[in-house]
Amino acid sequence: MTAALVAENVYKSYGDVRALDGVSLSVDAGEMFGLVGPNGAGKTTLVRALTGTTTVRGQLSIRGVTPTKLDKSQVGVLPQSFTPPGRLTAHELIEYYAGLYDDTRDPATVLDDVGLSGDSTTQWYETLSGGQQRRVCVAIALINDPAVLFLDEPTTGIDPAGRRSLWSLLETLAAGGTTVFLTSHSMTEVERLADRVGFLNDGQLLTIGDPQSLIDTHAGENKLIIETETALDSTAFSSLSFDIQTSVSGTRTVVKSVGPRDIGDIIDAVDMTTVTVESLTWKQPDLEDVYLALAGETLNPSRTTKTSNSNEDTAPRIDDVNTGGNVMSQTAITTTTEESDQ
Amino acid sequence: MTRHSRIRAEFTAAWHAFLRRRTAVFFTFFFPAIIVVIFGALVQTQPTGGGLFAEPRAYYIAGYLSVVVLFTPLSRVGSTVARYRSGSRFEKLATTPLSRGEWLLAQSLVNVVVIGIAAGLLLILSVLVTNTTLPLNLTTLFIIPFIILGVVLFCGVGAIIGRVAGSQDGVIAASNAIALPLLFLSETFVTPSLLPVWFRPVLGLSPLTYIARGIRSVTYLEATTAPLGNLGVVTVIAIIAFLAGTRAVPQTD
Repeated sequence: MTAALVAENVYKSYGDVRALDGVSLSVDAGEMFGLVGPNGAGKTTLVRALTGTTTVRGQLSIRGVTPTKLDKSQVGVLPQSFTPPGRLTAHELIEYYAGLYDDTRDPATVLDDVGLSGDSTTQWYETLSGGQQRRVCVAIALINDPAVLFLDEPTTGIDPAGRRSLWSLLETLAAGGTTVFLTSHSMTEVERLADRVGFLNDGQLLTIGDPQSLIDTHAGENKLIIETETALDSTAFSSLSFDIQTSVSGTRTVVKSVGPRDIGDIIDAVDMTTVTVESLTWKQPDLEDVYLALAGETLNPSRTTKTSNSNEDTAPRIDDVNTGGNVMSQTAITTTTEESDQ
Repeated sequence: MTRHSRIRAEFTAAWHAFLRRRTAVFFTFFFPAIIVVIFGALVQTQPTGGGLFAEPRAYYIAGYLSVVVLFTPLSRVGSTVARYRSGSRFEKLATTPLSRGEWLLAQSLVNVVVIGIAAGLLLILSVLVTNTTLPLNLTTLFIIPFIILGVVLFCGVGAIIGRVAGSQDGVIAASNAIALPLLFLSETFVTPSLLPVWFRPVLGLSPLTYIARGIRSVTYLEATTAPLGNLGVVTVIAIIAFLAGTRAVPQTD
């Protein structure tokens, strides 16, 4: 398959801050590529580099041509903080940007595709809701029917239904051969849309892969999250006939590597205590877990314990566990303690 | 044809955006009116013939027109550049076929129309309010190229200010800092005879001097300069300013 986008050893610094630190990647024609990473990771700088709106050190090409020399009608770009003129209507804005190209899609059709029709197309942009404004911006990026589409946070502020309709639109475009380079903080969005995902952190591309392989590699195991009225005692699971690994944070207990068939036994074990269960959540690992693992971030500081119910000889220990900068102290009996991997 | 359609699209968007900012429209056209009322009607010449406005009324028509040619494009294009920067509009436009020159040309054309209307209003008010006699012949039409080239010139300067200043507040401050000295040191309202002899050559450094002299040459019967020479100078400076402004329009960060 032909590469639509190529970046090789791309470096960019702002003063002492290195925004891009040797980034290399390749995106195939017709592929939907998701770029994720924490704020300040360098995502927007990479998009700017690929669209020729910032100068960088390294090799870049779009469809075999340097971005600054590319026929501009081949790319569609939605910058992250893009705000078009506020006192033009949605329809006027689409007509305006359509007027900058030789060949365009029908403005009314594009507006309809992004879910804008009727009154919303004749209102000034500044009077539209945040979600409607973002839809107009997406429509502007699509008006020239680009072969390569760069979308930086395309669904920010858009309601769930609207987000799903935009996702369907992007899937249709990609199926039609459009290469989509998507930057987003919504892992749900990226997991659903992207054929491959790249994780950028501190200007470095940590890993690239399809969502499932990244989840398999980085996201850890299934989890059973038990919310209780009062904190569970760590001996609660000692009656189980199999080993489990728990992570306790206040009234929240996370049991890792739980298969669906083991859930009943675990609940029975909790029922044998005097603690009341308020909620149970069985969670499969997802791209958000990959993100958190790679970004070195944690959702909740917690203490992880491994309950061994085999005949191994384990000595009682008292440990302090440093998790994400928070030192938590807890007594663990008949357990071994290890650092949280969240 | 393609270039034409891009400029037309940018012009149309900029024109609508301007017309829908009512405050901007009001003050754009209120500005020349208040200038004529203040300088043409309120400020009186001293009985002895001295004072700031001691010249015949027609002398100051060039000054009135120079004010709108100078101030409006300078501040409008400067603040437009700042506004486009803050909304990542240049970042977006840089990924479209519209070039920086085409963008500035479209913005300049909007200003030509706006200032053309304001200048016409100002001339009519000058005649009606101050009873100024305006020569009406073919050479009077030289006002038009002076206004067009003057607007283009200061649109280019405005783009440079917008690039350098960065924010709308900065643009306003910088525009005022540049425009006010130019206004009084460009043979608009203050005659060279009121300035020290050693300072008078400095007037030749101001592009507004040639615009004022050129317009005066066709609106004031006792003018001592001819339009063509001044038009030539203004044309050259306008081209340089436009090209410099084009380079100043941000395309990358």
